[in-house]
Amino acid sequence: MDSTAWSMLLNGAWVTLWISGVSIALGVSLGLIIALIRSAKIPFVHQVLGLYISIARATPLVTLVLFIFLSAPTLGINMDRSIAGILALTLNTTAFNAEIWRSAFNNFSNDQREAALAVGMTPGVYFRRIMLPQIVITSLPSLVNEMSFLIKGSPAIAVIGIVDLTRVTNRISAVTYEPLPPILAAGALYMVIIAALVWFQRVAECKANRLAM
Amino acid sequence: MPELPEVSIQKLSKQFDGVEVLRDVSLEVQRGEVVSILGSSGSGKSTLLRCVNWLEQPDGGEIRIAGDRIGVKADGKAMNNRDLAKVRSQLGMVFQSFNLWPHLNVLHNVTEALIHVKGMKKAEAETLADELLAKVGMAEKRSNYPYTLSGGQKQRVAIARALAMQPRVMLFDEPTSALDPELVGEVLAVIRDLSQEGYTMIIVTHEMEFARNVSDQVVFLEKGKIIEKSAPEEFFVHPKTERVRQFLELDEKV
Repeated sequence: MDSTAWSMLLNGAWVTLWISGVSIALGVSLGLIIALIRSAKIPFVHQVLGLYISIARATPLVTLVLFIFLSAPTLGINMDRSIAGILALTLNTTAFNAEIWRSAFNNFSNDQREAALAVGMTPGVYFRRIMLPQIVITSLPSLVNEMSFLIKGSPAIAVIGIVDLTRVTNRISAVTYEPLPPILAAGALYMVIIAALVWFQRVAECKANRLAM
Repeated sequence: MPELPEVSIQKLSKQFDGVEVLRDVSLEVQRGEVVSILGSSGSGKSTLLRCVNWLEQPDGGEIRIAGDRIGVKADGKAMNNRDLAKVRSQLGMVFQSFNLWPHLNVLHNVTEALIHVKGMKKAEAETLADELLAKVGMAEKRSNYPYTLSGGQKQRVAIARALAMQPRVMLFDEPTSALDPELVGEVLAVIRDLSQEGYTMIIVTHEMEFARNVSDQVVFLEKGKIIEKSAPEEFFVHPKTERVRQFLELDEKV
């Protein structure tokens, strides 16, 4: 592989990174918001969000990407490929993250909640100051797990023509007629990305051990 | 005009899934008074205490803190979270299982509500917290996290945390029941000091000797009803009911 091939590969890696990164950031926060809204158990809203989660979890990523990219024009929306890709990845990962947050809410100790209410905290202050800092750390292994699934599932966005880290290997081998080196290099780059995530999770887990009561 | 009682409980009733846990309970606690609530497990003692700061909502009756009703507004509607939080901040609660916040160290467990409920400045809150930690003998452990502490130490921090809000009334829900026998003393000593300082307190406990020594009033609950309410000398020496006599005898035998 020459330097052109390498720079194409790194470009692909960058596309994978930024599209996944934006989707992860959106998905983690939207998932938290959805879990919060669901915990209020508002009739109708609760069911609608439940339905969304069921559908999003059951739909293959490729199907979702295609559906969004192809249905946008029929709704009169002229959607950029990257936006469609981010939207699909976000819709997918948000559903899984919402379930991770929900389970964290459910497992959180009621004792701590009562102690917070007893000193005069409102539920909002309790959530921000007591619950959130702890569930962020305890949910991190599951969240990071979901992040790595998303990154590994992100080649799905290639079906609408986005040249990501997997797709770019095709382009390189179309010129070099050697498919193996670029795909090996891409594999190595995926491993570096996931390894960085896992390292991040380890650090968080060390912190989480302190919370084991 | 006579002073309003700090806590006034009138005809309180509470059911859990159709089972009556409190029946027509009335109790008044005057300022500076220490009231101990005794009774066997399942008699409704803890539920009664938890109703006082609305962690449990009673089904009937009313509770007033220095004349103000808790849980229900003047127009009869349920209080919102903000109003409820305001009333609750006047009531310090100490739990059986301490319920410290594990992500905060000892000092920050005490300052948390001062800063984020009372809106106190950080430095000011820490000065007050250090004073209170010294009072409960935990000054040296101010930077420790809860998991490094013994049960007795955790409970003393929990007491400092409740005191920090300068509550009108302190509520103790079996504060020593989760402790090893050798750690019970250090917690009871702190509570005894508070009673001498004139704090108004309601204590649910199984420690008979302690209840006898610190209380101004002893209340005995049986199946959700107060069956005896008297001064400690009378309660422990001349119980009026057969049930209390039996309860005290059982205690002596152990």
